[in-house]
Amino acid sequence: MAESEAGFIAFEGVSKAFGDLSVIQDIDLPIERGLTTAIIGPSGVGKSVLLKLLVGLIRPDEGRVMAFGTDMATADLEAMYAVRRRMGMLFQDGALFDSLSVGENIAFPLVHHRKDLGDGERQDRVEEVLEQVGLPGLADRDTSELSGGQRKRVGLARAIVHQPEVVLFDEPNSGLDPMTSDAIDALIGQMKEALGITFVVISHDIVGTLNVADRIGMLYGGRLVAYAPTKEFVRSDVAIVQRFLKRNVLLPGSALDSARLPTPAELRGEES
Amino acid sequence: MRSALANIGRFAFFVARFLRAALRQPPPEGKTLQQAWSIGIRSLPILLIIGAFVGTNLSIQGYAAFHPLGGERMVGMFVALAGIRELAPIIAAAMVAAKAGTEMASQVAVMRIKEQIDALEVMAVDPLWYLITPRLLGILLVMPALTILSTSVMVTAAYLVAVYQLGLSGPDFIEFARQGLAPLDLFWCNLKALLYGMVICMVACFCGYFSGPGPKGVGQATNAAVVTSAVLVVVLNYFISELAYG
Repeated sequence: MAESEAGFIAFEGVSKAFGDLSVIQDIDLPIERGLTTAIIGPSGVGKSVLLKLLVGLIRPDEGRVMAFGTDMATADLEAMYAVRRRMGMLFQDGALFDSLSVGENIAFPLVHHRKDLGDGERQDRVEEVLEQVGLPGLADRDTSELSGGQRKRVGLARAIVHQPEVVLFDEPNSGLDPMTSDAIDALIGQMKEALGITFVVISHDIVGTLNVADRIGMLYGGRLVAYAPTKEFVRSDVAIVQRFLKRNVLLPGSALDSARLPTPAELRGEES
Repeated sequence: MRSALANIGRFAFFVARFLRAALRQPPPEGKTLQQAWSIGIRSLPILLIIGAFVGTNLSIQGYAAFHPLGGERMVGMFVALAGIRELAPIIAAAMVAAKAGTEMASQVAVMRIKEQIDALEVMAVDPLWYLITPRLLGILLVMPALTILSTSVMVTAAYLVAVYQLGLSGPDFIEFARQGLAPLDLFWCNLKALLYGMVICMVACFCGYFSGPGPKGVGQATNAAVVTSAVLVVVLNYFISELAYG
């Protein structure tokens, strides 16, 4: 099950600022192999920045972002691509290519990285993952004909088609109605069971997160204010965690600290 | 000033990164002809119309300039020199920048804001290779053809106006046009077309790639692409003409 492994995926003292705006500060976060780790927090606290740091789309100002033994903060393009080939990612809106059909979108990683596969094998694999995400027979469909939930499913199919070791989810519920959002959460749960690989989920949707995550971390004010197994996380005595939980889901017995909550600046140790 | 220098540096880095990616692997399958077809077909009608009417005006202006001097027979030479050496490649570039260049910039910018470029990166596919190579090859394939077509239409329209409207001699028009031109002119004309195509494609993709967020960013990228391409093409035209005829 859980396998701790130095250098598998870990944020070590990572800070990132855009101009004068410090987004995340001194984040230490190990991601354990085979588990689903969720990072939650309000909008604009740098959750997506964390994912972009992990895949090397942006580089940290300080610290190391380790992935499969490679430091993404200093890796060259080739090393970065080698790491990315072992990952899949579901983007907020699916990030499907408008000029390609559903099937062509899903087959994209195979076309570029699995030259050994023939057309038939590729099509079979596309059908297989379409079935897994609950959209059998949609390979020839134009992406413009898909609903929001279907786009997410196709995006997920593309993220898993090349059998990655880690799948990253950037706000999988964003822009979806509650029913569709629940369906996507259920799908992530099924995928977790079926694939048994590492998932990293970035979300502000606490309800869905509680259902799928083995570990939850919370970002607030640029810092990781809590990180624990899900059952411990919901009992956390960190005031901001309790507040976030209480505002998003009713948890009987949760210890909401009614004292004044720290501001992001206070959390960063800055004087107001 | 600092911002302009930073952009030049960023553009140089962008081109260098593209060249490195493009030289390491063959272009994406099946995309080049699709791009060439799209660029050619979209730009052709407007190019032919503009080319024809630039030709008509060359005849009228040439006639107005040479007639008072008794040199109206030189109109054919004037059309051939001005049209083939200068105007045909410039007009082809302007039309391709306006049609295909803006489309390239907006397509790439939309891909940027919809995270499709990030998706390419995460799938370990170099976005510069995937997005620019087929567009560049496509534009290089069609630019000479578009320029030759625009030249032909321009000279034909000029001939029709000179002969049927201004009453000049058809054989004189052709003979003087032939005398004014050398085979090397066609070489320079096509070289210009290729270089302008390259500039238009790289600038359009650069502006789209570094587009700002949202629809406003797409609009600004598209606008910057066409304005920058136009300025660069005109400046480049001076240097090539100076090199060829100076």
